Amino acid sequence: MSKESELLKNDYLWDGSGEPDAAVVKLERALGKFRHAGRTPELPEGLAKARESRKALQGAGLWFQFAAVAASALIVFSVWSGLGLPGEMTASGVGWGVEQVAGTPRVGTKSIGRPGEKGTLGIGQTLETDRVSRASITVSAVGQVDIDPETRLRLAESRTSRTRLELERGTIHAMIWAPPGEFLVDTPSALAVDLGCAYTLQVDDSGAGLLRTTMGWVGFRLNGRDAFIPAGAVGETRKGIGPGTPYFEDASPEFRAALRQFDFAKLSDGERSAQLTIVLANARKNDALTLWHLLSRASVADRGRVFDALNGSVPAPNGVTREGIVRGEHTMLDAWWNELGYDDIGVWRKWEKTEFYQR
Amino acid sequence: MGTPVELGLRMRPGIVTAGRVPDQGDVASLVTAAREGDRGAFGRLYERYARMVHGILLGRVPVADVEDLVQDVFVRAMRQVHTLRDVNCFGGWLATVARNRANDYHRRSVELVEFTENAPNRAPEKPRSSGAGDDSAAILGMIRGLPEAYRETLIMRLVEGMTGPEIAERTGLTAGSVRVNLHRGMQMLREKLGTRA
Repeated sequence: MSKESELLKNDYLWDGSGEPDAAVVKLERALGKFRHAGRTPELPEGLAKARESRKALQGAGLWFQFAAVAASALIVFSVWSGLGLPGEMTASGVGWGVEQVAGTPRVGTKSIGRPGEKGTLGIGQTLETDRVSRASITVSAVGQVDIDPETRLRLAESRTSRTRLELERGTIHAMIWAPPGEFLVDTPSALAVDLGCAYTLQVDDSGAGLLRTTMGWVGFRLNGRDAFIPAGAVGETRKGIGPGTPYFEDASPEFRAALRQFDFAKLSDGERSAQLTIVLANARKNDALTLWHLLSRASVADRGRVFDALNGSVPAPNGVTREGIVRGEHTMLDAWWNELGYDDIGVWRKWEKTEFYQR
Repeated sequence: MGTPVELGLRMRPGIVTAGRVPDQGDVASLVTAAREGDRGAFGRLYERYARMVHGILLGRVPVADVEDLVQDVFVRAMRQVHTLRDVNCFGGWLATVARNRANDYHRRSVELVEFTENAPNRAPEKPRSSGAGDDSAAILGMIRGLPEAYRETLIMRLVEGMTGPEIAERTGLTAGSVRVNLHRGMQMLREKLGTRA
C-alpha cells in the first residue's frame, strides 16, 4: 500500500477514516440539524403520463402500437418542456404563448392581467411590462424567457432554425435549449447569440447593454466585434461601439475600471495603451478570459505584452507563437481559446458561416 | 490503493453516511429511464443526488426555503434533461441547475441594476436568515461566507454527511480537487471560529 493511500485512509475529514478529528466531529453534530430530510417529489406529470400511455397501449395491434408510439412521442415532446400544445409557436410562425406572471403585461394592444392568463406574441408584435408587471414566454423547441418589469421586447423573427427577439429596454432571463446559434436577441448595441446556456440580458434607456451568463456561454457581437461570455462572466456593450471585453465580476476594481476605459472611452492611442498597462498589471490567472479577448483588441504594438501576460497564466499551446498572435492569426487565437477550458470555439465558427452572420 | 468504493465503506456509522459510489453506467440508465417517465428511476436519482442539491442550495438560500427548492430543482431538471448531451455528466449538470435555481431565487427580488458608467457590480444579496437562532446557525453563516468551492464541499461533508469520494462522484469534480477544497475550507473555517472565540 502506498504512502499516499495510507494517508488517504487516515483522513477523517476526507472519508471518516482514521482518528476522528474532534473539531470536525463537533461541527458535524452542530450542523447535522440542517441535513436534507425531504421526500422524493412527484415525477413531473407530463413524463409520468407519457409512460402510462405507452404502458396502456402495450399488447395492441401493430398499427395501433404505431399510432400509440407516435402519440406518446408527441406528448413527451410537448409536455416535457413544461408546455401544453396550445400557445406554441406553430410551423407557420403564428406566435408565441405569453403567460402573465405579475401585474398586467401588454402584448400588442391586449393586456393580460389575470393570474396565469395567456396571450400570444405574434411576429412583429411587442411585449411590454410596466413597473410591476412580469411575464414569461416558453416555447418547447427553444426555451424559456422571463421578462422583468419595465421591459419592451419584440418578436422579430421565428423560424425552424432561428428565433430572434429585439430587446429595446429592460431585462430578460433566458434559459435556452435550442441548438447553439439558433436563439438571438438583438439590442441597440449588440446581438446576443445563445451558444447553449442561461443568461440575463439588460438594456438601459441609452441602449447600453449588460449580459451575465449563468450557464453555458453566449456570443455578443456587432459589426464583426465579438465577445464570448462563459458562465460567471459579464459583458457590457455601448451603442455605436459594440461589445466590450468580457470579465469576471470578482476582478479588482482597478482592473475593471481600466478595462472599461480601454473599451469605451474616447482616448488617444497612448492613453489606451496606458489603460491596458493597468489591466495587465492587475490581471489574475482567472482573468485569462479577458486577456484572450485583448489579444485581438489591443493595438498591434501592444499585442506582444498581452501575449506575455496570458502566456504566464495559460501557456500558449503548441503551434501558437508570439509573432502569429501579433499578426492576428485566427487559427492561433482559436487554438488558445480552446486551452482556456471553456466551450469549443468551433461552435461559434460554425455559426459565423450562417447567412445571418453577414448582417 | 483502495478503490473509491472501498474508501467509501470505511465510514463511521451515524456521522458520515456511507453510500456506495454509483457506477456511471447505472446513472446513465437511470437518467434514460427517468426521462422516459419511470418513477422508480426518478426516485433513485433523487436518493443519490438530493443531498448534493440540498448542500448547494443550503449555501445560498435561506434554510426555510431549501427543501422546497430541492424539489423544484429535480422537477426542473427532469423537464430539461433532454438538453443534456452526455448523460454521464448528469451530476455536474444537476449541480449547475441547482446553482442556477439559487441565483434565480435571489434574482427575482432584485431590482433592475443600473449600469451607466459605473461598474455593474453583482446584485446585492439579501440578508440570509437560517431561522435556527443558535450556534449552529452562526457556524452555517460562517461557512456561507467562504469562497464557493470551499462552501459547497464543506456543507456536503459537514452538513449532508457525504464523504469526499461521494462528493467527487456526485459533482463531477476530481477527488483531488474535493480533497483540497475540504482541507482549505476547513482551515479557513477554523480560523473564523478561532476569531469568533
